[in-house]
Amino acid sequence: MGYTPFDFNEADRHRRDHVEDRLREGSPVVGISFDSGLLLLTVRRSQRKVFEIYDRLIYAGIGSQADIEAVRVGSIDVAHREGYERSPDDVTAQRLVGFALSPSLKRLFGDQFNAPPVIRALFGELGPRPEDDAFYVLNYDGEFEQHTGFAVLAGVPEAEDRMALWLVGVGPETTREQALDRALKAWAVGAMESRRRRMSAGDEEIDPLLDIEEGEQMAGFLREELKTGVVEAGILDRHTTRESRFRLLAGADLEPLLREYR
Amino acid sequence: MDLRALLNPDGRPVLQPPAFPAADSRRDAHALRLEEAHGTTVIAVKYRGGVINVGDRRATANFAVMYDRAEKVLPIDDYTLLAISGSYARAMEVVRYLRHAFKYFERSQLQPMSLDGKLSELARVIAAGLPAALQGIGGFIPILTTYDRQAGEGRIFFYDGMGARFESTEFGAAGSGSLQIRGVFDYIVKTRRPFHEMDREEALREALLLLDIAADLDAATGGWSKVLPLAKTISEEGIGDVPDDELRSLVAEIDRMNQRGL
Repeated sequence: MGYTPFDFNEADRHRRDHVEDRLREGSPVVGISFDSGLLLLTVRRSQRKVFEIYDRLIYAGIGSQADIEAVRVGSIDVAHREGYERSPDDVTAQRLVGFALSPSLKRLFGDQFNAPPVIRALFGELGPRPEDDAFYVLNYDGEFEQHTGFAVLAGVPEAEDRMALWLVGVGPETTREQALDRALKAWAVGAMESRRRRMSAGDEEIDPLLDIEEGEQMAGFLREELKTGVVEAGILDRHTTRESRFRLLAGADLEPLLREYR
Repeated sequence: MDLRALLNPDGRPVLQPPAFPAADSRRDAHALRLEEAHGTTVIAVKYRGGVINVGDRRATANFAVMYDRAEKVLPIDDYTLLAISGSYARAMEVVRYLRHAFKYFERSQLQPMSLDGKLSELARVIAAGLPAALQGIGGFIPILTTYDRQAGEGRIFFYDGMGARFESTEFGAAGSGSLQIRGVFDYIVKTRRPFHEMDREEALREALLLLDIAADLDAATGGWSKVLPLAKTISEEGIGDVPDDELRSLVAEIDRMNQRGL
């Protein structure tokens, strides 16, 4: 029996369906570049999700825990090898995602003898000015997109569309407090949409531009989610004098943000 | 297929301690000795709440002043400073290596490397340079200072040329001028008070005075007539630069003392 182009398409389709099914469950991630830094925010139930990769690189992923970890450790290896052998200035998200991760993920995804990687990842790169910041969204098959200003990650494309609509307007003047508030609300928009898509199993058509139920519904949703979930926000600080720009925001930093959802 | 292997097809190690081969012959070693840049005097003293590091700005090659703006007190991570003396080339490579090694550990393992782990890593790279150091090239002696957040105090460690590590209770000094001022530390501790009981300003003044005496008594150590000396602190809040204004006024005070012929 030969291997036909049809078999290839069929296998490819099966693998995509398998990965996308598993990604649906993922808790969205929001990335925003603001005046004094760059932020990745999500709400998690178990494992930590926002990680430092290198001096100016931050990462979060949705999907299988093992694949998120493999991409994390692989990225840290690549970044440190390059930063030590050449210079920290040469470690950029563009090189890491475009030349190292993307081709490797494509090969892994195409390898019919192994389970495909289940991951969708977001990389943020801090520049000297907000205009220099960059985001890269990397897909399980090696495809990637570059974004500026903000970027989002969710298990279903419709949720990402809605989150992006919600974030239009954040810019270099956005403060950290504003960015945190926008990010948490965008997370809620994405999580609500992901849930709605899961429930309707993606069969019925929902108008993607349908007004997002604002105000009470979102606040109620967040109040409910934050009973069991934890807001995780990692930032890269643009103007710090510390050696490390990265830090996870602790309780006191998030208190003003979370107060209204208690 | 595994992502880590795909990202590193040649199987190169992420970080390799800097190699510093010995010269092939005695003649080569002699020639290198004449060319090699050396850092001169660095001093570390404790104070109530942390550690202060000061150093002159000079790097010499044989009898020539190679550089008069040398940075010889270098941050390795948020709570670790390395003050370097001896071979400038090797010290700088070691600093680059340690920065990457400590950060690589913390980023990949999601916890900081223990103090003991850091001290051993430094001992290992010192010992690796021994064959060259025996020929009189590439030898360097560091002082590692850190703030111990559990104990709530600064700590000072110094090394010998083979990598033996010692902890000092009060002070440390390394470089060409350190021998000349060795006894002055003891005199200060015995007649005034231990450094760790001094406040920041008093300890800083004593450290600068010691540096001035080193510059007086050692032909290689630089004064501060052109460029301010280096001064950094590590405390609960991490590493801080002593502001230039503060340094300028303390230096002027010592200069006035010198002009009175004291």
